[in-house]
Amino acid sequence: MSLRMNRRSFIAGSTALATASLWGMPQARAASGALSVWKFGGTPREVEFWPARDEAFRTANPEIDLNYSYFNGQIRRQKILAGFQTRNLADVIIAFGQDIPEFAGFDMIQPLDAIAGDRLAGWRERIVPEVLETGMHEGQLYGLPTYVDMASFLAVDMDALAEAGFDAPPKTWSELREYAKALTKPDRPGIAFPATTAPVDINIFEGIAYANGGRIFDEETGEVTLAGPGVVDALQLYADLIADGSTPPGTAMTETNFRDTAQLFAQGRAAMWIGLSWLNTPWGTPEELNWAGSPFPRPDTVSGNYPPVSALMDPTAILMVSARSENPEAAIEYLDFWSQNEQLALWGAAPEYSRIPGGKVAWESEELANRWPDWVSAYNEGTLFDGAQPLPRFIGVSVVESALATAIQQVVLGQQTPEEALTAAAEAAQQQIDLLRG
Amino acid sequence: MKLRSDHWLAYGMILPVVAAVLAFVVGPTYDVTTLSFTRFIMGQDRGFGGLVNFEALASDPQFATVLTNTGIWILGGTVLCVLLGMTVAVYLARDSKLTTFLRAIILLPWILPDVVTAMAWKWMLHGQVGIIGQTVTDLGLTERTISFLGDPDLVMWMLVAVVVWRKMPLVALILCAAIRSVPQEHYEAARLDGANSWQQFRFVVLPHISFSLTAVTVISMIWITAEFTLPWVMTGGGPANSSQIMATYIYQQSFQFFNWGVGSAMSVVNLVVLVMIVSLYLYVVRRSWRSGAAK
Repeated sequence: MSLRMNRRSFIAGSTALATASLWGMPQARAASGALSVWKFGGTPREVEFWPARDEAFRTANPEIDLNYSYFNGQIRRQKILAGFQTRNLADVIIAFGQDIPEFAGFDMIQPLDAIAGDRLAGWRERIVPEVLETGMHEGQLYGLPTYVDMASFLAVDMDALAEAGFDAPPKTWSELREYAKALTKPDRPGIAFPATTAPVDINIFEGIAYANGGRIFDEETGEVTLAGPGVVDALQLYADLIADGSTPPGTAMTETNFRDTAQLFAQGRAAMWIGLSWLNTPWGTPEELNWAGSPFPRPDTVSGNYPPVSALMDPTAILMVSARSENPEAAIEYLDFWSQNEQLALWGAAPEYSRIPGGKVAWESEELANRWPDWVSAYNEGTLFDGAQPLPRFIGVSVVESALATAIQQVVLGQQTPEEALTAAAEAAQQQIDLLRG
Repeated sequence: MKLRSDHWLAYGMILPVVAAVLAFVVGPTYDVTTLSFTRFIMGQDRGFGGLVNFEALASDPQFATVLTNTGIWILGGTVLCVLLGMTVAVYLARDSKLTTFLRAIILLPWILPDVVTAMAWKWMLHGQVGIIGQTVTDLGLTERTISFLGDPDLVMWMLVAVVVWRKMPLVALILCAAIRSVPQEHYEAARLDGANSWQQFRFVVLPHISFSLTAVTVISMIWITAEFTLPWVMTGGGPANSSQIMATYIYQQSFQFFNWGVGSAMSVVNLVVLVMIVSLYLYVVRRSWRSGAAK
């Protein structure tokens, strides 16, 4: 059988084939359509500049109808869960890295590797690798971090310190107890720490416990490890500071969260306070206050069963894309916008935001170097993130942290010893975790 | 024929309410009950679980504390709300310029948003910067300021005090209206019989307002049971779970731990307990409210 084909039919046939093949190819086009964004948490100034920069996004992407909403960070899980269940979840969620395993486990968010395409290379180029790593879960990138917060740090009233005869913040737990005692006056405790059930208050304690080789959960065995020596001894430090008379009454600390404790420090009602890396966030720290921030003192001897960490870190403005997003192209466009140096530089040019910047460009900022010289030199030496780990993140983390919060409060109130409280907390959390994990 | 058409008109008129009740009360109640027998965790329906969620509740060491706190919250709140409301109502029922003015402004606590109320009280009761503790100390009543919300022995009663402050005005106003509706002749007859003030209240006012009193007591109980914002914003269930009540614990289980099965089981327990308390109360006072309803 021979195939007879003239020139006209060949051209017509090949044109039809080419058209058909092109029809099925993905078309390169600008993203457009509606895009909803939910942002959770942030300092007051960040809450102001985020929507202000969104205006630049709108200008650059007139085809995208951006609908941005801000919510309190402490209610993010509830809001996101409710949105997911009612099929009203935003396309882009800006929440905390600690949430990633649970959100991914729920299929609420999707891996970015699959949808970001060649944008990924730019993100890797512009974002500090250790910070970008905090968006990873089980080998996939689930979020684009803009900065991280670190636990735990100590803010010190330098005038009070000098008055007590010291010239530098304490470096060890025993020094901390000694300094706190020396700084205590009848109307001003030497140190205050937050002990409510707010997640940040728990994160602050976790930073201390992890530095002592403690862990709250062992992912490999599925065991809640709150009662391990690393955590028990860290809680003993809290108990010792109270027993020394260096703190406000325990009953006051259980009703005073991180934000309130910072304000009390700013008002001169405490000579030191324990917080996260954003010690000088604008919770009311006055200009005239002569203060310094330093990493929280280290244990004299590490007593935990795990390697001590230098700091815990969490990206608390990490951009994630909803698994149910109907406009992933626009979502990726938005993420890419926030990965640009113009946006990432904000955290370097405004050090009072007190975040640890995710953008490499921010580390070149003079203002950051002036405010946090130790951080910048450590970053330049490549040691800033040595020994740091993400905050505990696993399915059921809030169950364990809630049990830990109860144990902390029981000890702070003098109801139980750290060992008793943490043993009971571990048992209660284990029961809940087993139920959650089936 | 006219009677028949009136019949349909009546059904037609109550239809929207019936539909609303079915959609917003019966439907969710059915859903929650179904969920309580389901392993529903982390957004995943893991199938019928029988009594597994109720067993988890029973073995939860925290649950007994939650039930005790809820008892203080509901019963303490309701009793104080009604007793104080009645006392205020008796005073407000009198005719004077002051009581007229007070009747106009008494609802102020009621109209404030929950979160504003909770935050304001939280700071007023704060141990280090709260004006109440500071005033108590300045008066020489205590050596150190008291942390009302940080003290496990005080915190539940502080929450009860705040919820009473918030809910009592409406109770007082309803009872005041009921008291003012007592005909003057009844008082005159009682006075002629030599009744003193207490006897007039006991034998004239109370029987007359019994229906309103019963209704307002039941409503208060339901309001206080459903109240979530005040305790959650003021204490978050702390310190050390000493102010954890059903409403906050259900929220924690469902929206923090994502354990909807156990959260639903708790809601069912909450509903059953509330129905039992209300039924018992209505049974005890059945004569008075039935006679009131028949008026």
